[in-house]
Amino acid sequence: MLALQTILDGLVLGGLYALAAVGFSLIFGVLGVVNLSHGAIVMIGAYLTWFLWHSTGLDPLLCIPPVMLVLFAFGYVYQRGLIQLAVDRSSLLASMLVTFGVALMLRNLLVLVFSPDFKSISPGWAFSFLRLAGGVTIDLVRISALGASLALLGALAYVLNRTRIGRVIRATAQQELAARLCGVNARHVYAVTFGVSAAFAGASGAILGIVLPFAPPDEANWTLNAFVVVVLGGIGSPSGALLGGLLLGLISTATSQLIGPAFPNAMMFLILVLMLMVRPSGLLGNAFAGSR
Amino acid sequence: MARIARRTLMQAAAGAALAMPALHTADAQARKLVFGGSIPLSGGAAETGLNVNNGYATAVKFINEQGGVDIAGTKYQLELKLFDDASDPSRAVTLIQRLIDDNVNFFLGSFGSNIVLPTAAITERAEKPMVQAGGGSDQIFTQGNRYVFGMFPRATRQFQSTVAFFRTLNPAPKTFSVIATNDAFSKTFAAGIVKDMQGGGFQLIENYLLPEHISDASSVLASVRAKTPDMLLCAMHDQNSLLLARQMIATGTNVGLLFQGLGPQLASYREALGRHASGIFYSTYWDPRTTWKDPFFESPGAFAAYYARHNTRPIAYHVAAGAACIITYVTAMQAARSIDPVRVRDALAATDLETLYGRVRFTAEGDGDAVAMGPSVGQVLKGAGEVVYPAGGRTAELLWPVPAWDKKI
Repeated sequence: MLALQTILDGLVLGGLYALAAVGFSLIFGVLGVVNLSHGAIVMIGAYLTWFLWHSTGLDPLLCIPPVMLVLFAFGYVYQRGLIQLAVDRSSLLASMLVTFGVALMLRNLLVLVFSPDFKSISPGWAFSFLRLAGGVTIDLVRISALGASLALLGALAYVLNRTRIGRVIRATAQQELAARLCGVNARHVYAVTFGVSAAFAGASGAILGIVLPFAPPDEANWTLNAFVVVVLGGIGSPSGALLGGLLLGLISTATSQLIGPAFPNAMMFLILVLMLMVRPSGLLGNAFAGSR
Repeated sequence: MARIARRTLMQAAAGAALAMPALHTADAQARKLVFGGSIPLSGGAAETGLNVNNGYATAVKFINEQGGVDIAGTKYQLELKLFDDASDPSRAVTLIQRLIDDNVNFFLGSFGSNIVLPTAAITERAEKPMVQAGGGSDQIFTQGNRYVFGMFPRATRQFQSTVAFFRTLNPAPKTFSVIATNDAFSKTFAAGIVKDMQGGGFQLIENYLLPEHISDASSVLASVRAKTPDMLLCAMHDQNSLLLARQMIATGTNVGLLFQGLGPQLASYREALGRHASGIFYSTYWDPRTTWKDPFFESPGAFAAYYARHNTRPIAYHVAAGAACIITYVTAMQAARSIDPVRVRDALAATDLETLYGRVRFTAEGDGDAVAMGPSVGQVLKGAGEVVYPAGGRTAELLWPVPAWDKKI
């Protein structure tokens, strides 16, 4: 039964990792930008949700759509106003440095606005749990988080694969020049992609806020986690993020159970190094131009 | 001759007039006592860092409002030179070295043993005292440092009074497990817990070590459910404590007694858990309702009232500990009748003083005396933190046995 509990816990944790990483993966895959402010955007999502929940009493899961909307707008402006400028005037490396600087600023802005004190989102159902056969338990918060993650990842996969804007994003990612020749406004597509990524980062922040207490410095951990998930699963697709996230969750809980609770991070980085050596494009690696 | 004398006189007068402000400034600077240091106002340790910082600032503000402090017949105003170390030990080290280079003689500590340890090494080398309310790791006090003083007993001695409390419980718990995170303070605190609990006759079931930053404790909690101890004792910082408690509630992981060294003291922790927080035990070093006499603030209650008038942030025991650092420093300077760092260090070592924070007395190694400065045991009751042990300082009746999570009201 302990093995079943470990697998279940790993899958739930993995769902969170996957949702938190999908935006990072998309930006890396389509724009080729390693967005080091990704974790900070996740944290903004968590804080916005906390603010809405705290001030209006709205259920945190219902806060996700407005948070995504706000962060989509933020991401769009951020890319058009800053990232694109850095890419145009210098290089992709410069854009990475810009995102690092923005991450530092956002972290301190959150401290200024919300104080450095940790916050947590505890709706009425936060402490409920299901007890399954054999004494296996699972808390409602985490199972809801997993459900919301899968639903959002599914929605993103649908948008990318079945809608016009999704086709345009994929086309631009594969061959920017060809897309331009077909009349695609690549700059707009990049900004939309960044906006979508920021919106999904915000959604993951909302869900993480329900599961974990959070504080501004946590942003660095979520950027790092996203990076590991992307390396594991592959760049640029929701399925890659989902696979990487679920694997990371399983590795984390299995290591904790089999080797020791102090070792999940060590194992995570060991796998990261191995993947970079053996299969640098990830398990579901693709041929998006940005990440090549 | 007369003209020359008059000119000379005028030049001298003009020179003196020009020099007056400078002399005045020099005099004012000489009458300022500067306390330097770094403090985490941002980063992972900022929540408690802010509390310690507010304690320092409140004591300095109050003493200056009273006209300063008299040391060997000379009045001094106090000044703080504290900089944000962003919870980063390497940044803190740079800041402290810069303050040493600027001839600052007296240091206040940062928060977190991982920061206090390397910064104390610098002040020690420079033979400048550091009084701190943020580092309890044994390493700070067992490496031969002579100039570092702490407001808490070293980590491995912080649990003795709590073990004595557990032995008074009826029905008596017998077994315990420990969950610690992998950081300097928590690891040594956990080692002290195991040593003292086994010395007190309790049986260890499991000793778990988690990473420094926890995002999931489900595996450990599954193990706790499989091998349930009477007492689960947690050595970790606030945010991790809340995560663990939330996951325990949300997975129905019940133990007879949950003790979390850090966390339940904070209002944010108690609000997040709501009724579920009821009955959780913790260490507390201070309560404003105690009746200690302080040389400056008169009583803990008066200090708390003054703090509340000038701050919006809720008071916590780290605020009082920070203020006590300043009180202890100033009193030691008065006892030494000097502001020479070496003489002040000797006076600090000999300190035996009643303050708003309680009795301050240091061991030969510089940490707080385990009896005089050891913690009381607190318990969350009706959403508030109360002292339940020792009996003399009790502010509310103990809740024991503690109901299961779903039976709490």
